[in-house]
Amino acid sequence: MSRAPAPVRLLRVAGDARVQQYARLLVERSLGVQPRWQVVVGAGVEARPLVEEVERQIARAGAWPILQLVFGSAGGAWAREAPAELIAEPPPIAATIQSTGDAFLAIVAPTNTREASDLDPARRGALQAAGTRLRDRLTAMTVPWVVCQWPTHALAQDAGMTLAQFEEFLFGACLLDWDAEAERMRRIADVLDDAAEVRIVAGGTDLTLSLKGRTCAIDDAHINMPGGEVFCSPVEDATEGVVHFAEFPAMHFGQQVEGIRLRFAGGRVVDASADVNEDVLISALDTDDGARVLGELGIGCNPGITRHLRNTLFDEKIAGTVHLALGASYTVTGGVNESVIHWDIVKDLRRGGELYVNGRPAQRDGEWLATAVHA
Amino acid sequence: MRDPRLDEYARLLVERSVAVQPGWQVSVRSTPLARPLIEAVIEQIALAGAYPLLQLSFELIGGPFARVAPPELLREPSPLVRRTWDEVDAFVTIWAPENTREGSDLSDERRAAIEQSLAPRRDRQMALSVPWVVAEYPVPAAAQDAGMSVAEYEEFIFGSVLLDWDAEADRMRRIADVFDSAEEVRVVGPGTDLALSVAGRSGAVDDGHLNMPGGEVFYAPIEDSAQGVVEFSEFPAVHFGREIAGIRLVFDGGRIVDASARSGEEHLLRALDTDDGARRLGELGIGCNPGIRRYMKNVAFDEKIDGTVHLAVGNSYAFTGGTNRSSIHWDIVKDLRTGGRLYADGRVVQEDGRWLPLHP
Repeated sequence: MSRAPAPVRLLRVAGDARVQQYARLLVERSLGVQPRWQVVVGAGVEARPLVEEVERQIARAGAWPILQLVFGSAGGAWAREAPAELIAEPPPIAATIQSTGDAFLAIVAPTNTREASDLDPARRGALQAAGTRLRDRLTAMTVPWVVCQWPTHALAQDAGMTLAQFEEFLFGACLLDWDAEAERMRRIADVLDDAAEVRIVAGGTDLTLSLKGRTCAIDDAHINMPGGEVFCSPVEDATEGVVHFAEFPAMHFGQQVEGIRLRFAGGRVVDASADVNEDVLISALDTDDGARVLGELGIGCNPGITRHLRNTLFDEKIAGTVHLALGASYTVTGGVNESVIHWDIVKDLRRGGELYVNGRPAQRDGEWLATAVHA
Repeated sequence: MRDPRLDEYARLLVERSVAVQPGWQVSVRSTPLARPLIEAVIEQIALAGAYPLLQLSFELIGGPFARVAPPELLREPSPLVRRTWDEVDAFVTIWAPENTREGSDLSDERRAAIEQSLAPRRDRQMALSVPWVVAEYPVPAAAQDAGMSVAEYEEFIFGSVLLDWDAEADRMRRIADVFDSAEEVRVVGPGTDLALSVAGRSGAVDDGHLNMPGGEVFYAPIEDSAQGVVEFSEFPAVHFGREIAGIRLVFDGGRIVDASARSGEEHLLRALDTDDGARRLGELGIGCNPGIRRYMKNVAFDEKIDGTVHLAVGNSYAFTGGTNRSSIHWDIVKDLRTGGRLYADGRVVQEDGRWLPLHP
């Protein structure tokens, strides 16, 4: 055959103690798997060593893994060929899995992070619509779930690293003492809870938003692995001002959007521009009504992550950054914004950025001020 | 660029074998090795306006869950998997193992538990209440067992799969007519003289529907009729990744009353002791695929070799009239091409693997 079989990683690190520790964290801490649970494990086939270790841990817990392996990331033959109306509605069996699985583990392990970039926006939107049932359960946190990654060449390449370096980095960010991290993040969340005004100031940026009546949540490796963020749902109609994501490009379905500038009035994006791929930004904002409203303010807190890797799962956890998500908010933090998108965009505050809470400085140049947070 | 033969293969599976209809949910089960064919199949399903439910696993038999899960959990499919089996409109299984000995490290208890958990799917498939097909994909492990290079094995697979299946169907139908009108079938060869009855049973023809490659005519023998001896001396049999050579079975009143093997005998005996139905025949199959001449240690092909018959111990296909029930269905192939004869009601119909004029 002119096309070689799927690449298979020759280096099997299944015996690596770190893989076992990683799998244990996911199954025991992140999901807390219980006997006779049906644990839906979605993974790229490249993640085989972790998938197998996770299967083993789930089996030991007396639960069933419902394995859903895929080749690429989003997309593939189905997304390109199927009638768009079929894509938007999941088949009944997939819908049942989405609405009755007891826990969801997603292991992202792309062979090419640009795999979905050739999908037209209508098909992309349809793919997202097909996941509505699950997304609703996940954002409402009514079911345990976690998203993690497996080190692949594609991810290493985007991060500008060798695979070996990326492996070290990933385990360094994930295999932490999460109880200690939880305490540290709890103290940061205490400062932000119910704040009438949070103000983000940096070059080209002066944005205020309200967390009045809202409680922050911390991710101590429960919904993301690595965890390491404090996040909250801004009051939907209160965001005002301008934010310029000048430091890092934003990634959306494999496309890189650079230099995003958003102006908010009354909580909505009223003006948007970008230096590169502006059309991707605009079509994302036009996805639905809720796509122009903030669904999240997140504060990066993971001490193991210091560099931007064009990989949102990690980038949004960089200590000294904040991120804003356009679209759906988490009801667990009191949010009511609905959208099929939830797009996290990261802003670095480590050079000249300031964070104010109720008018008082809380963070400068990415460092918490002792007067605000005893971190 | 994908080999265009893969698109032809995928079209055969989707259009002919399971005839996908709009809105169907089609289970597509395989390993990552079969990616090129899987993607071609998904495209065909999408073009038919139906849903593929991709069910990839690294090992089709076994894997970490099978090795570690408590046996009582292993015995029972999860409700979601059970529901999938009950609800899908078609099953496409693409056989593409990394290693054909997968599953051989499972204990008998675990193997039996897995067989038991698969019962709902097996029952639905065996009753033909849902279209299904098992297709072979050219993987290195299968080429190795066949003693071929992957390139040679690919040619062989496409040669046995991409046939004019309507013409094959006609030819096999004529063979089935011979046995449909007969009561007794007798298989004779070195060390072998086995009689069994197919009275009242009609033959089924696999013309690229259940297996790809297809190419067999098969019957459910009358359950208490098998009488005599059969020696599978030409080829080893393979069961759950283990090879068993020189199997010899003695039947009396339909039941195996004596069984031995040159190697792997204990494994043979354990399989026969799986349950009550495991000592009775569930199938007499007649190989008819003109593209398959060589034994490859792969039952999906071997049972189709022109000039062979195969006997399955265990479960029979209800749609062929069979009533034997077992959690196993193990096909064992017997070559008749050197010194073998097949009789229908006392008349020789095949000699040395060649059909005598069927309509004299």
